[in-house]
Amino acid sequence: MKAVFTFSLMTLRMLFRRRTLWGILLVILLALAGIASVPSFDVSNQGRFILDFGLFGIEVGALLLALGLAANLYPRDRETGTLMPLIAVPLSRWQYLLGRFFGAALVQAAALIVTCLGLMLILLFHRLPIPGDLLPATLLIIVEGWFLLSTVFFFSFFASPPLNWPLTTMLFIVSQMSVSEFVSAMPSAPGLMRAVRLLLPHADVFHIKDPIAHGFEIEPVYFLIAVFYGLCYSAFMLSLALAVFRGRDLK
Amino acid sequence: MADVHPLQVMELSKRFPRKRGLGSVQAVSSISFDVRQGEIVGFIGHNGAGKTTTIKCILGLLKASEGKISLWGSAPADSDVRKRIGYIPESPDYDDSFTPMEYLSMFASMRGLSGKDTDWMKLLKRTGLARWETTRIRQFSKGMKQRMSLAVALQSNPDLLIMDEPTGGLDPIARKEFRDIIIEENKRGTSVFLSSHILSDVETICNRAVILAGGKLVAEGSLKELLGGEKLYRITVISRRTGEEVEEIMPEADLQSRIDSLRKDNLPIVKVEMALKSLEDVFLSATGGEEQ
Repeated sequence: MKAVFTFSLMTLRMLFRRRTLWGILLVILLALAGIASVPSFDVSNQGRFILDFGLFGIEVGALLLALGLAANLYPRDRETGTLMPLIAVPLSRWQYLLGRFFGAALVQAAALIVTCLGLMLILLFHRLPIPGDLLPATLLIIVEGWFLLSTVFFFSFFASPPLNWPLTTMLFIVSQMSVSEFVSAMPSAPGLMRAVRLLLPHADVFHIKDPIAHGFEIEPVYFLIAVFYGLCYSAFMLSLALAVFRGRDLK
Repeated sequence: MADVHPLQVMELSKRFPRKRGLGSVQAVSSISFDVRQGEIVGFIGHNGAGKTTTIKCILGLLKASEGKISLWGSAPADSDVRKRIGYIPESPDYDDSFTPMEYLSMFASMRGLSGKDTDWMKLLKRTGLARWETTRIRQFSKGMKQRMSLAVALQSNPDLLIMDEPTGGLDPIARKEFRDIIIEENKRGTSVFLSSHILSDVETICNRAVILAGGKLVAEGSLKELLGGEKLYRITVISRRTGEEVEEIMPEADLQSRIDSLRKDNLPIVKVEMALKSLEDVFLSATGGEEQ
């Protein structure tokens, strides 16, 4: 595991040195500032408005970070020839995949925590209370971000980066849909649609922004189940990615 | 216990599916050779002969369609044998935001090596990169990246060095330095498998050569065997078109028929002499002189 750890650190340092991360982070923070500057019709609802849209902004930020950080990692390694000396000698394919994933996941988590701090600052600036569940909500978005990251990794082994963006975004949108919304897309085959929806990820489990915005308490059990689900689905997507990667000839 | 060679390739074949999914392209066809302990083996072939494909199969980057590869008697995927290998790829590249020193430290950690920064500095000095110790790799030329790949390959004091066109982007002085390092490593006991089409390099440092053409092994043996096995003759004739002297080199077996055909065509033969064979002659003769 030492090789995976070192390679994760190497990936982390590399991603911190790239402009992509800072560009996406700036876009998310500007979007949050933009949300906070939109006047609310009802002053008493301003906190709820900022929290609701702020957390939504951070969630979209998680998607952008996953794509911006990881869609080009493997294709770039292959294209430039960086992959060959790594895979030929010190690393096996699973070590390469996990090293790249953990490095990107840490960078993504750090960036999402910064956006959460940005949202807190905005709330403080508007003299609004910071809900206690804001941090758990951000943690769930981080787990959702890791799931999206693993999806980006999976697609990156057979799709080019321009194709990876729409594929992951589509999966992100579908994963937000409820079963009834999904079935209504093809009402003639409800059984099939239900089965397909069951297999597809359920990112709606990560959404606790509405309860937080409305001041409801989140059960710790729900929180733990959501984290467990997210980690399991990420592991599943990474296993699929590894299966594709293992079958690849590195010409 | 029977001798276990550092590298044994047995009946290796590699086919790639065609892009449109119809049939396949045979890149390497049933080749067998070995690299014995302490040898420097040259792997020669024209562009597209299958050299890089063979090397990638040896390293497990490509899956062999048929045949077997063994490194000290184990499969290439075995992590213990991989630790004993140093590899220099054809077009090496590294994460370009790092400096050579950072890269060597991280590579060492990934390989579980216990060296310190002072060891890596010595290695950078040996490969001519000491001056660029703190320069980001993105500013490196192709030649400097090749020096970097040599440093990475030598880092673990490998028992087998596998090199794919290592001197391609280097100037003559750097090539000489590269060759000297290979010889030093070989004296230390490292076996070397050197793919190159710079035949003078192979002729200078290799004990044996394996010649590949069109994915098939066309000649193999010690340089002594290859260079001295068959008598070659050089015929000098006056070209009818340009009026200048033109030389042809051919094996003894073809000499008489060629002289007869030149006489028949009334081409003046200036001289016929025995030619000293170079590796280039052997290569051209073995491969038919054309890219296949």
